[in-house]
Amino acid sequence: MSVKIWAFSESPSVANEVASAASAIAAAAGGGFAVVGLDDSGPFLAGDDKLVVRADTPLSASPESAANALAAVAKEANPDVILVGSTRDGKEIASRVAVKLGRPCASEVFGLALGSGMLQGKRNVFAGKLIAEVSMPLPCVVAVKVGTNPALPASGAKATEKVVGVVASKTKLVERREKQKGTVDLRGAKLIVSAGRGIKKKEDLVLVSDLAASLGGAVGCSRPLSADMGWLPEEHHIGLTGVTVHPDLYLAVGISGQLQHVAGVKDSKVIAAINTDKSAPIFEASDYGVVGDLYAVLPAMLKEIRARHH
Amino acid sequence: MKIAVCVKHAVDETELKVDSGGNPQLKGAPTKMSTFDKNAVEEALRLKAAHQGEVVVVTVGTPEAKKTMKEALAMGADRGVLVSADPMAMDTRRTSELLAAALKKGGPYDMILCSEGSSDMYTGLVPPMLGELLGLPYVGYAKKIEVSGQSAKVERALEDSVEVVEGLMPLVVSVVSEINEPRYPTLIQIMQAGKKPMEDLTPEGLLPGAGPPVSLVKGMKAQAMARKRVVFEGPPEETAKKLVDSLAAEGVLPR
Repeated sequence: MSVKIWAFSESPSVANEVASAASAIAAAAGGGFAVVGLDDSGPFLAGDDKLVVRADTPLSASPESAANALAAVAKEANPDVILVGSTRDGKEIASRVAVKLGRPCASEVFGLALGSGMLQGKRNVFAGKLIAEVSMPLPCVVAVKVGTNPALPASGAKATEKVVGVVASKTKLVERREKQKGTVDLRGAKLIVSAGRGIKKKEDLVLVSDLAASLGGAVGCSRPLSADMGWLPEEHHIGLTGVTVHPDLYLAVGISGQLQHVAGVKDSKVIAAINTDKSAPIFEASDYGVVGDLYAVLPAMLKEIRARHH
Repeated sequence: MKIAVCVKHAVDETELKVDSGGNPQLKGAPTKMSTFDKNAVEEALRLKAAHQGEVVVVTVGTPEAKKTMKEALAMGADRGVLVSADPMAMDTRRTSELLAAALKKGGPYDMILCSEGSSDMYTGLVPPMLGELLGLPYVGYAKKIEVSGQSAKVERALEDSVEVVEGLMPLVVSVVSEINEPRYPTLIQIMQAGKKPMEDLTPEGLLPGAGPPVSLVKGMKAQAMARKRVVFEGPPEETAKKLVDSLAAEGVLPR
């Protein structure tokens, strides 16, 4: 059978990640894929077959209008599989398109493959303790987990444009505040030093940021430090409801290792931890651990690292 | 304000046991109200405190889900609606259709609150599906909700930005856990919760002729956590050196 797959995201960089999942399925099953974007995203998209959807007003202004536009073009072209990047807005877009087209839908899916007429994939469930196998009949809508596929490079191919008369969103965007770029990019970081409740006061975070700086790494934290204490902005929060990371080294400092936190780091190449409590669950999830007081261990590590650079 | 809160009764992921073959022991496992649903209940109670009205808890669940319902009632919700069906045996679409039908039946509600996702399956698909199925405005990932008159102003926490969105009620909103700190019910509230009204609805009554539900989940296995689990103990200077040596040997430290 020849399958027709669409890769979509409201974010062009995520769309190109989704495109590599689409490309792999299409190559294995015999079929083609198109990368679908909104508004002016054409030049940023990958693939030979690009489709850009536009309307009188920017479709990227709300996930609802994006979904209305995507559903409108999908109704005509009827792709077998619609892959959507599983961002926060992407999950809304996927849900809405699935309901509008009457298709089954799954989110945060990785490891996609087509077999016996079904699209198979995996999801992390129970805060990452279990992996669920999901199987979707075609046609379907699947939100693909961000960071699980390498992004295809943007191509020079010219995008086909499709103008739709889209029903406007029922909500109004009043303001969008972009988070400061460059201050923290945990998703792409190769090395992360992360702070948890073992840090006794905000000023002591300097121990963690100094070590991160000496290693050229980024600073992350567990949920309590951003959500409860407000010591670091939310974009530093690593875990199930925060950012998912996959660095070469993840060093957890004073983090007990609740399931929700570990769910966000388990794809790291090496995990190390420092904790006073020998029975802390973080040691179960780590390659290397130090049982000890971070207030003594971190300065000793810093000294050791500096000594090596001389 | 008439507010509905959708909650889920879930197996407690922290207590879930896995056998030597990697199979989860879901039957008889300890259960709880899905973690982030407490934030949705809390937000409903705060809105009620500020604007008066009623808070109704709605769930799709097995009879055991009454435990979660009672917890929400103990926190301060006024009454409960239980749709008797197992959400683990159906896809998110069917769960959403059942919730939507129950909400239509008991409505109209000014606001329908959900959490961003459940602590067991964490799909995040049900809240936007509710908005779509009910034809209501929907705002996802709220970290702040302000209601004035018939309109609501919501701050959305996204990956790279914060958005401020306005919508007219009735409105469907999903909340993130940062929005508030859920309260603990008092002993008296827990005892009184059992006396609050609970309505039982059936899938057959809500969606006549809908056919048997379909689950997309074919199986669940323990996540392989192949970590080395080398632990160093001793004086900080020694353990720090051992850790740095090990990490350098792994090639994960900058040279």
